[in-house]
Amino acid sequence: MLVLVSVTLITFDERSGTHHITSGLKSVAHDVFSPLTTGVNDLLRPIGDFFAGAVHYGSLQSENQQLEATIGRLREQLNETQGLRNQLRQLDSLRDVPDPGSLPTVTAEMVNRDLSDFDADITIDKGRGQGVSVGMPVVGAGGLVGQVVQASHNTATVQLITDGASSIGVSFGPKGQSYATVNGQGPGNPLSVQYVPAQTPLHKGEIMYTSGLANGEFPANLPVGVVHSYHLTVESGAMTVTMTPLANLDQLAYVDVIQWEPPL
Amino acid sequence: MTSRDALRALLVLVVVLVLQLTVVLDIRIAGAHPDLIVGLAVAAGLAGGTERGALVGFFSGLAIDLFLPTPFGLSALVGVVVGVGAGQLVAAGVDRTNWFFVPGVAALGSAIGVIMFAVLGAVVGQPDMLTPSLGVVVGVVAVVNGALGYLLVRACNWAFGLETAGSAWHGPLVPGDRP
Repeated sequence: MLVLVSVTLITFDERSGTHHITSGLKSVAHDVFSPLTTGVNDLLRPIGDFFAGAVHYGSLQSENQQLEATIGRLREQLNETQGLRNQLRQLDSLRDVPDPGSLPTVTAEMVNRDLSDFDADITIDKGRGQGVSVGMPVVGAGGLVGQVVQASHNTATVQLITDGASSIGVSFGPKGQSYATVNGQGPGNPLSVQYVPAQTPLHKGEIMYTSGLANGEFPANLPVGVVHSYHLTVESGAMTVTMTPLANLDQLAYVDVIQWEPPL
Repeated sequence: MTSRDALRALLVLVVVLVLQLTVVLDIRIAGAHPDLIVGLAVAAGLAGGTERGALVGFFSGLAIDLFLPTPFGLSALVGVVVGVGAGQLVAAGVDRTNWFFVPGVAALGSAIGVIMFAVLGAVVGQPDMLTPSLGVVVGVVAVVNGALGYLLVRACNWAFGLETAGSAWHGPLVPGDRP
């Protein structure tokens, strides 16, 4: 009987996509459990962090110095690129493309990650009550992190770009006129870049940005990742390209949810 | 199951669920984290038999399904099967006096549960279910749940009101005790 009920639930959920009844139930569950899990985390994490800090004191000190040096370099680069960003903003306004830097954002803290071993996702501490909606892009740690796939009142679930169900339209090249699709391949695996025609000029370390094409899931010009490897596949006549996310997805603590929703 | 047992079982379920969503998520071994929910279903089957194993497996699976992006009901189905399986082992009169019975069944049942979850997930079209890292996930879940087997069975014994000395379910499940 219970097996039958389970199979019925799975079929119901699968057939109706993200059905509003199951997503509503999930939203309520997140809201009910959020204070409990936050309380337990607030209680236990400092203890764990204390012991971890004591054990890794030397390496933390050295890491701190490196981070301070990196922040200094980044501040210099930020000042240098400010002028270029202003020019880009003017050009984008002529092309009627929104500048991602000018879009409003909600800063959120990551409270959980990878609820299952089979998915790449994080839970953040902001939800519908703070202006976060399903479909909004999430950035942080240097690049695109993912997209909100579930939002309750006070929390939201973000599907990371490494998740197998993630697919992003990107542009690259000197003038940003080459287009491809980036697919996640599961936690810990590089991203796969699809539909890159043969003979497309590429170089290792090249940055790919969200394309922002009409009806796209993301606004234009969000940095997604850098080309890690590429070669021509003779059978298909297309390029096989792998990419590393620009955002360090293993070290996420805070992220920005961009309040931009995909067009209907 | 009396209403008192049901309340206790609910309490155990909520505690295990909160632990799974907090402390356990922070534990990563070779990139995988343990899964106490499937361990709870096996422990319920071992402690309470087929029917209780099925009920706890179903509701604990449904509870964790509320937090997962996988299809609603997938973990519940796995929970029912492993809970019933563990209960059937006990009902079949398998020798439970060996100290490794509980850890062994908890580990094996959990491994079967994870594999079943991945296979069924792939069948309903979920990506990245059958990858080489599945072996690591199975290993981590099996080892951790094997180690926690006695604790989970103890919790289920308490939930089902079977913890009193002389209970038919209590004796053989604790190392050193006589059946």
